[in-house]
Amino acid sequence: MLKKLIRHRALPGFGLSMGYTVVYLSLIILIPLAVLFLKASTLSFTEFWRTVTDERVVASYKLTLWTSFFAAFINLVFGTLIAWVLVLYDFWGKRLADAIVDLPFALPTAIAGIALTTIYAPNGWIGKYFAAMGIKIAYTPLGIMIALTFIGLPFVVRSVQPVLQDLDTRYEEAAATLGANSMQIFFKIIFPAIFPAMMTGFALAFARALGEYGSVVFISGNMPMKTEIIPLLIITKLEQFNYGGAAAIAVVMLLFSFILLFLINVWQWKTAKKQQMI
Amino acid sequence: MNELVLEVKFVSMKKWLLIGVALGFLGLFIVIPLLAVFSEALKKGIQLYFAAFNDADALSAIKLTLVTAAISVPINTVFGIVAAWAIAKFDFRGKNILITLIDIPFAVSPVIAGLVFVLLFGSQGLFGSFLAALDLKIVFAVPGIVLATIFVTFPFVVRELIPMMQEQGTEEEQAAMTLGANGWQMFFRVTLPNIKWGLLYGVILCIARAMGEFGAVSVVSGHIRGLTNTIPLHVEILYNEYNFQAAFAMASLLTMLALVTLGLKSLVEWKTKKYVNGG
Amino acid sequence: MGISLKEVTKEFGTFRAVDNITLDIPTGDFTALLGPSGSGKTTLLRLIAGLEKIDAGTILLNGSDFSAKTVRERKVGFVFQHYALFKHMNIFDNIAFGLKVRPRKQRPSKKEITEKVMELLKLVQLEHTASRYPSQLSGGQRQRIALARALAIEPEVLLLDEPFGALDAKVRQELRHWLREIHQKLNITTLFVTHDQEEALEMADTIVVMNHGRVEQIGPPEEVYQNPANAFVYSFLGRVNELRGAALRGYLGNTIPNGDEVGYIRPHEIGLNRTLKGSSVPAEVSHVTKVGSTVRIDLKRLDLGHIFEAEMSTEKYRELGPVQKGDILYADLNHIVIFNGKNNTTQPVLENKTLRAAYL
Repeated sequence: MLKKLIRHRALPGFGLSMGYTVVYLSLIILIPLAVLFLKASTLSFTEFWRTVTDERVVASYKLTLWTSFFAAFINLVFGTLIAWVLVLYDFWGKRLADAIVDLPFALPTAIAGIALTTIYAPNGWIGKYFAAMGIKIAYTPLGIMIALTFIGLPFVVRSVQPVLQDLDTRYEEAAATLGANSMQIFFKIIFPAIFPAMMTGFALAFARALGEYGSVVFISGNMPMKTEIIPLLIITKLEQFNYGGAAAIAVVMLLFSFILLFLINVWQWKTAKKQQMI
Repeated sequence: MNELVLEVKFVSMKKWLLIGVALGFLGLFIVIPLLAVFSEALKKGIQLYFAAFNDADALSAIKLTLVTAAISVPINTVFGIVAAWAIAKFDFRGKNILITLIDIPFAVSPVIAGLVFVLLFGSQGLFGSFLAALDLKIVFAVPGIVLATIFVTFPFVVRELIPMMQEQGTEEEQAAMTLGANGWQMFFRVTLPNIKWGLLYGVILCIARAMGEFGAVSVVSGHIRGLTNTIPLHVEILYNEYNFQAAFAMASLLTMLALVTLGLKSLVEWKTKKYVNGG
Repeated sequence: MGISLKEVTKEFGTFRAVDNITLDIPTGDFTALLGPSGSGKTTLLRLIAGLEKIDAGTILLNGSDFSAKTVRERKVGFVFQHYALFKHMNIFDNIAFGLKVRPRKQRPSKKEITEKVMELLKLVQLEHTASRYPSQLSGGQRQRIALARALAIEPEVLLLDEPFGALDAKVRQELRHWLREIHQKLNITTLFVTHDQEEALEMADTIVVMNHGRVEQIGPPEEVYQNPANAFVYSFLGRVNELRGAALRGYLGNTIPNGDEVGYIRPHEIGLNRTLKGSSVPAEVSHVTKVGSTVRIDLKRLDLGHIFEAEMSTEKYRELGPVQKGDILYADLNHIVIFNGKNNTTQPVLENKTLRAAYL
């Protein structure tokens, strides 16, 4: 700690860069967001409460929450598996597979939306097989989940991958020499080590899914009470020039995201500290 | 067959099973959508593919997208470098909080990002009457699109640079100072060359996101054809008009940009790995 | 002249890293700042370079006040512990850096820069590495390039922070000789930080022993080693046996013991015999180690039970005859030096060279 303090004093430009950072952050992010709260506060409490507990809004909150949760859960399982395969095994095309994991970060969400809708529509590449079985994917919550799975895919993989990479094979070897079998090694050594990263990835994917708009709006069908997500509802309120209502719904959603973000950060500081102690 | 051979067979079976499932998942969620974009775009032949761009609205959407990126990316790049300098090279109280604040746009729905600018500068907004008196238009005009894009792409460059600059420490900068370099010389000759690959990736990612942003821009744009439509918004209009081929043709442009971004990321990772191992 | 520090103090928060240090280093001297980690030696070096701001006091370089000058105005050559070579520049550009960043008017021509760099590369005997990158050099080579880079700006003082800390024993030995040679050739006032007492004793003209941010003793290596100013210096330089309490009984002469006394005796100052001679004490051998040309023997005092170490040359050992575990030898501890432990900075209370046989 002391060493660190010493090292970081001599360089120039701290005041200038810090000042610029804080001013710019305030202008672009903090003040605009504060206005959101300001606008929501122009509503009386009963108005606010009525807006955010309206039947249609509540249905939308529920839909957004559970589709986001399940999409994040799918990513938790398959993301961990993909990270595992990418770190531990060698196979042809591994580098390519590793590279395309990030596509959802780079591909515009609207494009993901129309592509997924085309594939999962009743006459689409995949949708038609399900349609034959009587299962509709596009324009149902199932479709929303698929879109949210797509956009959240990189989070778990990229959280777990570095941890697995750092996990010293010596631990595993030591455990093996102590007579542990591969199941025991996985559950006693590897799983506890990657669990925090899995949860971080899950929470990030969850948070991202809650606010997602572009990829969902095409595939969801946007039917009130059934397939209408929160961001869409905000846009609907805006188009009706109901700014206060839009702000109220947005505030509730924002608070939820912030709590999630805060929990992720606290969790990360804590695990970082724990690992430092070891 | 003895037990060992059996076990080896089992292990390799398990391995290929896991690889199969992982690749199957990636294929289903990533490769098939990618193929869908290009196959739909080229469905009616290469001539119609190019014809999709030869349209006044399409061209103005491409132009507006480029203008938006050309303004927002440099602004966020400068901010990214400056903020990363303060955060990575100095110790101060509240650093964790500052990083969390910078991350806010990751946690905020793009729709909310657009909403806040409507609330600020819209006709009923905080500065609405003030802007109307000056006959200035921000929302449903280009400035609003740029502002929303800046908001959404705010953290990309800085988040790419912070871990990189932290890892590099400050010794090289200190050495440059003892050798008589002034602040700018130190920055341009020592700091910048050391972060150039991470910076390049951060900038490209920022460009890809700036050009592809949909939700936030959709809220502030007003969807005025030929005036306030960006490529993603134009894609939406074409798609909703059932002009799928043209919609996917436009979409393929941004998809290619996304693929270039991924390629560059791999390159950057390879380059920095070489650096770290060599240093 | 040279470097003078006057009442220099530096604090980090509530921690006083450098505490009111006054120090004069003559021009051309080769000085070691020696001390345990956390003793403030690196901070002192960084204060001289201007990499830290002083809280109080003044620093003079060749008579002119340096305290308010920035790092780049000071023109000191600084060699970092981990070299801090510029990874993205080749060796030539690394060394040329300090010349290339000069203001246009003072900047040498390209040809002059090339000549200067090649001359320095020749000095450090690494001419063939000009176009290589730091990652392609060994640790020792990097260290030499770091020195060449620091010398390029023709500094008035050269500051080195743990110059050999990161190198293996053999390379370290070679570089020590080499650095001394360079110093003799260039005669630049040089100050280096080390926690390795052997390195300080072997290389420096002057040793500054530091502890808890203060200077404990300044002097040539022989003097610091032979006449340590206080208990800290005695125990920090060279191997030492520490004796307290009952073990000191009989060595205190006329002083009245108060329980705080601490005695030191170096292993090679302990004489060992097969038979009782004068004031020697019986001890049982618990271990014998041969390290090169010296032999170390661990002993346990029969009467008091404490363990100490003796050291002798192989010739002496041969005279003594082969020693085995369990043998009883008689140890002469009369070279013991006793300090009053309450105040580590006091002069030795007693030097028992003059007190032999004053007991039992």
